[in-house]
Amino acid sequence: MKMLNLAEIPIQSVDFRHIHTEPGPFCMSFGFELQSLIFSIENVGLINPPLIVEKRPGEMDIVAGYRRIKALIQLKTTSIPCKILSHSEFSPFDCLLVNFYDNLVSREFNDVEKGMLLNRLQEHISKTMILEQFMPLLGLPCHRPTLDLFMRVENELNAEIKEYLAHGGLSLKTARLLLEVEEDSRSTVFHLISSLKLTMNQQLQLVDYLIDISHTTGKPIPLLLDDIQLNRIIAEGDTNKPQTAKAVFELLRHTRYPRLSNAEKDFKRVISRMRLPKGVHVKAPPFFETPQYRLEVMFKEGCELKDKLYRLSRNQELDNLGDPWKKNH
Amino acid sequence: MSSLNIRKVVIDDDKARNLSFTKRILSRLASEPSYGTGYTGSKETLHLLSHKGEFLKPCPGTREYICCGYQILNVATGCPLNCSYCILQSYFSYSDLAVFVNLEEAIDQVFRLIDGQPHRIFRIGTGEFTDSLALDPLVFWTDLLLSRFSKTKNAVLELKTKTINIGGLLSSQQRDRIIVSWSLNSPFIASREEHKAPSIRKRLEAARECQREGFVLSFHFDPILVHPNWRDEYRKTLEMMDQYIDPKGIIWISLGSFRFMPDLKNIIRRFHPKSSVLDGEFIVGLDGKCRYFRPIRVELYSYIRELLEAWSDDISLYLCMESDDVWRESMGWSPRNNQGLSDYLDSRVVEVFG
Repeated sequence: MKMLNLAEIPIQSVDFRHIHTEPGPFCMSFGFELQSLIFSIENVGLINPPLIVEKRPGEMDIVAGYRRIKALIQLKTTSIPCKILSHSEFSPFDCLLVNFYDNLVSREFNDVEKGMLLNRLQEHISKTMILEQFMPLLGLPCHRPTLDLFMRVENELNAEIKEYLAHGGLSLKTARLLLEVEEDSRSTVFHLISSLKLTMNQQLQLVDYLIDISHTTGKPIPLLLDDIQLNRIIAEGDTNKPQTAKAVFELLRHTRYPRLSNAEKDFKRVISRMRLPKGVHVKAPPFFETPQYRLEVMFKEGCELKDKLYRLSRNQELDNLGDPWKKNH
Repeated sequence: MSSLNIRKVVIDDDKARNLSFTKRILSRLASEPSYGTGYTGSKETLHLLSHKGEFLKPCPGTREYICCGYQILNVATGCPLNCSYCILQSYFSYSDLAVFVNLEEAIDQVFRLIDGQPHRIFRIGTGEFTDSLALDPLVFWTDLLLSRFSKTKNAVLELKTKTINIGGLLSSQQRDRIIVSWSLNSPFIASREEHKAPSIRKRLEAARECQREGFVLSFHFDPILVHPNWRDEYRKTLEMMDQYIDPKGIIWISLGSFRFMPDLKNIIRRFHPKSSVLDGEFIVGLDGKCRYFRPIRVELYSYIRELLEAWSDDISLYLCMESDDVWRESMGWSPRNNQGLSDYLDSRVVEVFG
């Protein structure tokens, strides 16, 4: 990139009505809060004047300082001190880079903003150049699917979901999965996530279950969520959010993995019938993938252990322990 | 060769550009491609490049499941077929095809390694990171490899394919130590999930031709998938096998149920939204890969084993990447560990090829 001489550009007052205040071609700000900036300007004034470029006579695009201009307008400033870049000297790509580097040195981009930048870069340079030169600057791997993901996040998710993502309420992994949900169903899923106040792992799991169940049953997700049993769980008045979430997950898991869920239930049933001594637990391997079960015995002294082992050895229900799907158990 | 349509060629290094192997490939292209640089993410882009590492490597099995001790001759990456379940989609960032054109000059080194261990049997395949025959009409691997392997007494070459590109094989005079192998599935899966691959019937017709021409065959039911009427569907494949193939000429048949790294799930959802391969009950296995819940795997293997054993009582069956317990429950015996399975297959090589 050529060296741009920005320092020598004089500051001019520009009527705010001449500045496009919608995010323009160089903007990469999303999901920000203005209050601290407003507070700063109120107290010490504008420290750095925004950069703008004349699009057409009397029409300016913001190059850098989108938030500052927003803050000044909220403070009812009508005449905004700016540096006006000449479009004959500064190409649109130069302007984009000015904004990028201006932001890069002063703050971290959220995931939506990374997508905004990558999409805007693609209008000027090849994906290969983006991968090689810009992905590392954003702390991202030079990996084509990652580039595509960030671009899709910005282009395809609605503003409400992007806002949640930008504020860290939604993980990027869940956002990626939401992109695989049909556009019409995305908001429904998102509202369920936000209403149940799920953890990041739960969000991911929920979307994964819903996509899978929708695919296997052929039912669109909103129809699945209209399921009477699910609605009854969600509407249940005497449970708190985590309890509701747990019940929703149990129902979805059973629908998605009927054989595994039944095996787990049968196993629990067998164990509960055993009336194991206090402090004795029999645990199944994860997903029953290995046939080795685990016995855990809590004891204070050897004679307590001996007593528990003796009682276990006489427990006839132990004969029924084994892979729960096998008929002889 | 309908699955092969090269529109763009990328020669990735100067060394590759000057090799006669490269020049021969370029001369065989049906139409003049465009030349360029970089990855395009298209199966119509062919990269010709030098392989930097070892050509021969052991199959990356995992400790937790029993592996057959196969060796991979890494001749290419990517595949022009477009199977929805293909694990290569998550192995490589791009779907471009890549052929390692320095194979011809590196092959001596491979055989020095094999010759240096005369008491060991090398079961070698080229079908791990590509289809062994999909690019053969262009690359002529059969030309290069068959004569070398035929003369090597402690190795066999298994060419694993879903295609019917057997021209190179049939025009060769070599038969010894060569195993021609087809990946099979149910007709339902072949037609819905193995895009651009020939039908099961066509594959078996090609297998019959190879068998008639004196080649030893093998088959791989991998990935076995749960799908509507899967029992009837897999039985249809067995019925076709009975129609076309003499079981006596089969060295082994492997069974492997669908397993994949979790990353593949999103790729399948995105690029094959109509695919039903993810519909089953998958759990996370001991190696971190998703695989069917254990009783489902046992059910799948047991059923196909019964069909195969009803077809012939002299078939060497083995499971690909399964646990000792699943082996016992579905096959009625177990090789217990990697060495046991390796010995079992090696003994089959000795039995068939001497």
